[in-house]
Amino acid sequence: MSAVQAASLPAAKVAPARRFRFRPSRIVINVVLAAVAIFWLVPAVGIAIISLRPESAFEQSGWWTVFTAPAQLTFSNYQKLFSAGFQPGGVLDSLTTSLAITIPVTILVTVIASLTAYSLVFGRWRGRTVVFLLIVAMLVLPLQMALIPVASLYNFVGDTTGVKIFGSVVGVIIFHVAFGLPFGIFLMRNFYTGIPHDLLEAGRIDGAGEWTLFRKVVMPLGLPAAASLAIFQFIWVWNDLLVALVFLANNTHETLTLYLYSQTRFLSSNYWIISTGAMISIIVPLIVFFAFQRYFVRGVLAGAVK
Amino acid sequence: MAGVVLDDLTKRYDGGALAVNKLNIDIKDGEFICFVGPSGCGKTTALRMIAGLEEITSGEIRIGDRVVNNLPPRDRDIAMVFQSYALYPHMSVRDNMAFGLQLRKTPKADIDSAVEAAAKILDLERFLDRKPGQLSGGQRQRVALGRAIVREPSVFLMDEPLSNLDAKLRVQTRAEIARIHTRLEATMIYVTHDQVEAMTMGDRIAVINEGVLQQVGTPKELYETPLNRFVAGFIGSPSMNFIDLAVSNEGGVVTLKGDGSELRPDDTMSALLRDGGLDSVTVGFRPEHLEVGPVTGPGLNVTVNLDVIEFLGNDVLIHGGSGGRDVVAIVDVDNSLKVGDTVVLSASPRRLHVFNPVSLARMIGTG
Amino acid sequence: MSVADPTVDVLPAEPKQDVVPTIGSPVGGGWKSHLGSLLFLLPGAVWLLVIVVYPFIATIVRSLFDGSGTRFIALGNYKAIFSTTDTIVSLKNNVVWVVVFPFLVTFFGLVFAVLTERIRWGTAFKTIVFMPLVFSATAAGLTWASIFFNDPHTGVVNAAVQGVANAVNPPGLYPVDTSAGESVGGLAATGVESGPGGTLQSKSTVTAGGTIELGLTGISPTVLQQNHATTARIPTSSNGAITGLVWRDFSPSHPTERGQVFTDEDGIAGLHVALLSADGSVGAKTTTASDGSFSFAGVGSSAYRIQITANNFQAGFNGIFFLGTQSLTPTSSLNPTLQAILSLPIVDIAMIIAYLWIWAGFAMVVIGAGLAALNREVLEAAQIDGASEWQTLRRVTVPMLRPVLVVVFVTMLINVLKIFDIILNMATPSSQGGASTIALDIYNDFASNNGQGLAAAFAVILFVLVVPAMLMNLKRIRG
Repeated sequence: MSAVQAASLPAAKVAPARRFRFRPSRIVINVVLAAVAIFWLVPAVGIAIISLRPESAFEQSGWWTVFTAPAQLTFSNYQKLFSAGFQPGGVLDSLTTSLAITIPVTILVTVIASLTAYSLVFGRWRGRTVVFLLIVAMLVLPLQMALIPVASLYNFVGDTTGVKIFGSVVGVIIFHVAFGLPFGIFLMRNFYTGIPHDLLEAGRIDGAGEWTLFRKVVMPLGLPAAASLAIFQFIWVWNDLLVALVFLANNTHETLTLYLYSQTRFLSSNYWIISTGAMISIIVPLIVFFAFQRYFVRGVLAGAVK
Repeated sequence: MAGVVLDDLTKRYDGGALAVNKLNIDIKDGEFICFVGPSGCGKTTALRMIAGLEEITSGEIRIGDRVVNNLPPRDRDIAMVFQSYALYPHMSVRDNMAFGLQLRKTPKADIDSAVEAAAKILDLERFLDRKPGQLSGGQRQRVALGRAIVREPSVFLMDEPLSNLDAKLRVQTRAEIARIHTRLEATMIYVTHDQVEAMTMGDRIAVINEGVLQQVGTPKELYETPLNRFVAGFIGSPSMNFIDLAVSNEGGVVTLKGDGSELRPDDTMSALLRDGGLDSVTVGFRPEHLEVGPVTGPGLNVTVNLDVIEFLGNDVLIHGGSGGRDVVAIVDVDNSLKVGDTVVLSASPRRLHVFNPVSLARMIGTG
Repeated sequence: MSVADPTVDVLPAEPKQDVVPTIGSPVGGGWKSHLGSLLFLLPGAVWLLVIVVYPFIATIVRSLFDGSGTRFIALGNYKAIFSTTDTIVSLKNNVVWVVVFPFLVTFFGLVFAVLTERIRWGTAFKTIVFMPLVFSATAAGLTWASIFFNDPHTGVVNAAVQGVANAVNPPGLYPVDTSAGESVGGLAATGVESGPGGTLQSKSTVTAGGTIELGLTGISPTVLQQNHATTARIPTSSNGAITGLVWRDFSPSHPTERGQVFTDEDGIAGLHVALLSADGSVGAKTTTASDGSFSFAGVGSSAYRIQITANNFQAGFNGIFFLGTQSLTPTSSLNPTLQAILSLPIVDIAMIIAYLWIWAGFAMVVIGAGLAALNREVLEAAQIDGASEWQTLRRVTVPMLRPVLVVVFVTMLINVLKIFDIILNMATPSSQGGASTIALDIYNDFASNNGQGLAAAFAVILFVLVVPAMLMNLKRIRG
């Protein structure tokens, strides 16, 4: 202590406002984190640049050389892929297929999860606890547990009724909704428990039926949670590969993830296609992410159980 | 043990707002001083600057002989009791109290005896192996106190430690803190917004408003000679009554008149007001100093229209209106007063406080 | 689109009421509301029962039957799984992922969360690190595969490693690729033999005033051209000096004749040569000219051999096959089963890095939210108690964060058990087998003709592995 004492007996009465919390290591932290940030950006930047370079350039030199010769950047790869139009097997067709799956799943999961959560929180029937605990158990259930029987089920329906489910977009949608529900119900239910019962009781006394209560009281109040769920679900389904692989392989229409995968595996395409396709597949979730960042993060935080 | 000196202590936030404005307080070694004031007055900010948890914009803080401005909290030889107790939730009571000593590499035997001693003082021996989550609010507060005692610091800092306790516990813990102070003879700086607490606990009290020190003094000094209107109105419960009276000087005889009130000053007050050159003054008088019935000699007479009468046991608390102002008085219960009555209440000149209506400062001489 | 701080709004994770709200059952409405709310349950319940609950049971049942689904074989599938090397490899890979990844991702998440509190651009940093969550594992796998390309010309990592490797060990002008089966000794043609340490040396000695001719073959004309070689020329002798020629002993016009310096043969330019004494010590050094000639002046009276130094043949860096299954652990001498269990494919490391890139942001955001929710006054109390930054972090902050860290750890554990997309898209086709995991095997078996029984059994194993996490979740919700 004495050294400190000696050091702090200055003659000056007015001490300058020196921040005693100054840690020289603050510079180190900034440098370290800057390096980390750069490292983090490299892959995305790399794949973006690859997609923006002409096909021939790929073999010759690494994408990092583009910084010395920026003039070579071009959209030709994108043009090439888009010029195929909406033919099946092309990137645009895959884009629409992905949308055709993702949007219905998102809507269905959000609506059904909300309804189910309503029933679990505001319903008047016994066994709500048990059902909720079952839902919680289902949260971690691997969807691999359902693949084989569901595939058989689809085929069975297809054989008996002639309605093709296996190998069609419908089959994928049905499966995704089922496995999106546990998380959706969990999220909405947790949010709904924060809504005071009094609101609904007042409504009931006024004569409102359950459907009205749901539509006019609970759902509007639950919009923030529903938004989080929708966004999280959207991105999750958009990025899925396994379900599409199982139920849509060899189909005329593929999702974007399937498209990318088959380019790599079956067509051994050059990276000009793969990188361009990857960029296209990333654009939509990126836009959703940046537009609704706050909701997505909320969904992630609540989804820390998934 | 050490005294603490605040020298022109100032804190300015980034937006320019002054939280603490040139605080000058000289705290003696072993003194129990309370910083008191309304919420947001800067008392907690000042305490945190003494602790080293807030940066000092300008001015100096000396603990003992050392200027501590640039020292981190752990080198200032202080201990702090937080409003929310701030106990380590994952450690047992014993470890909570031992933590500071462990960090200083104190030998285990010494740590154990220090913890046992503190636990004994605070009646915590049964709880040493429990975690904070298993304790009640009052018990947690005592652990927080124990954590501070164990370190044997030069200065104890306390930030509204009783606010989260219920009334009964508050009274108990208040006494306990006072006992600890006597026993340890430690310098204690105690922040509270409750002036009753300050009055009962402090050797001296520093009243702070909007970052500016209003007055430092013993409870008696603050009660009997408040230096400005703010202190006068802040100290004492129920608070002091204030009325504005016009000064009239007729041939050397000074009288003060207001709507429904009249003041005949004594010689000291007359002398003061004659030369004062003021048209009006603010006069303060405490509810407990009012009597029923007018005075004929020097003194204040207030005509009050009774509004509310509250039975207090030995006394009666009456509210009334006078000339548009509210007046509160505490009088003996013998009086047969009824709501709606008009009474004259009076106070002797000794019990009157006169304030400059503009500067709000006490005009010297009275009381 | 403003970039908002992701941690500002935190959805309340803990429900505000009991598991089943006991604060008064809803009044009013009668049986209609009873029915109504039950009806709301219907779509979800039916959906879940048909696509989740029934298949769950069906899969368990299916796992007890053989590939065609007709013959009951009880635990036969399971036995097969645990005894086939291929499936053991999958199990091993899952173990590698489970042991390494959750710990790493939680660690980095914690480090980032703690460090970002100290900088001003925390929101920007968090956004950058968080963003990869938006990528599909497919796109991420493909992206990282491109990062780890073999060829230093196209793969960033290998390019960087090459830069370092070549700086440390610069390649010679005439690299010999031993991994491709080439050897330095194979270059010796006329008057040259292999020397120690990857060198070549002249068969005979030479003294001052003498000339020596050393012929090499197996040198590519392109390389010679790159090194600006010209036609070979025998230098004249010089008093007190040793002169000589190193040339490519291959003439297009006389392809089978060795030993003679033809006019259409090139000298070997830029070659480092040295004087080799009889006792093996290396003396003066020089470099051949573009016509292959060299000369050592003032050599005294001793007889020397000419050494062609090893650094001429130093191979350049070729690239590390990051996406292969070469084992990082020395297992090549073990039997196949032990090999399957103990080898650590290098591609696993590459994939773990890629997966960290995706998920570290998740860990960081969740832990960051937990960090922001800590009671500041407890940390201040630690400061006053005398803890330094590091001590506060280690003894107060991190222990208080334990619940959050556990949540992140367990979530990532479950996630990693099911790992699938990234392997499909990052490991090369030849590496798929060595890098496969349970989820991958399930899919492959499912897609095969007779593997459904195995696939079902594998799925059940996967389920069993996540049960502990399931129980932990249930406990957390009820408690």
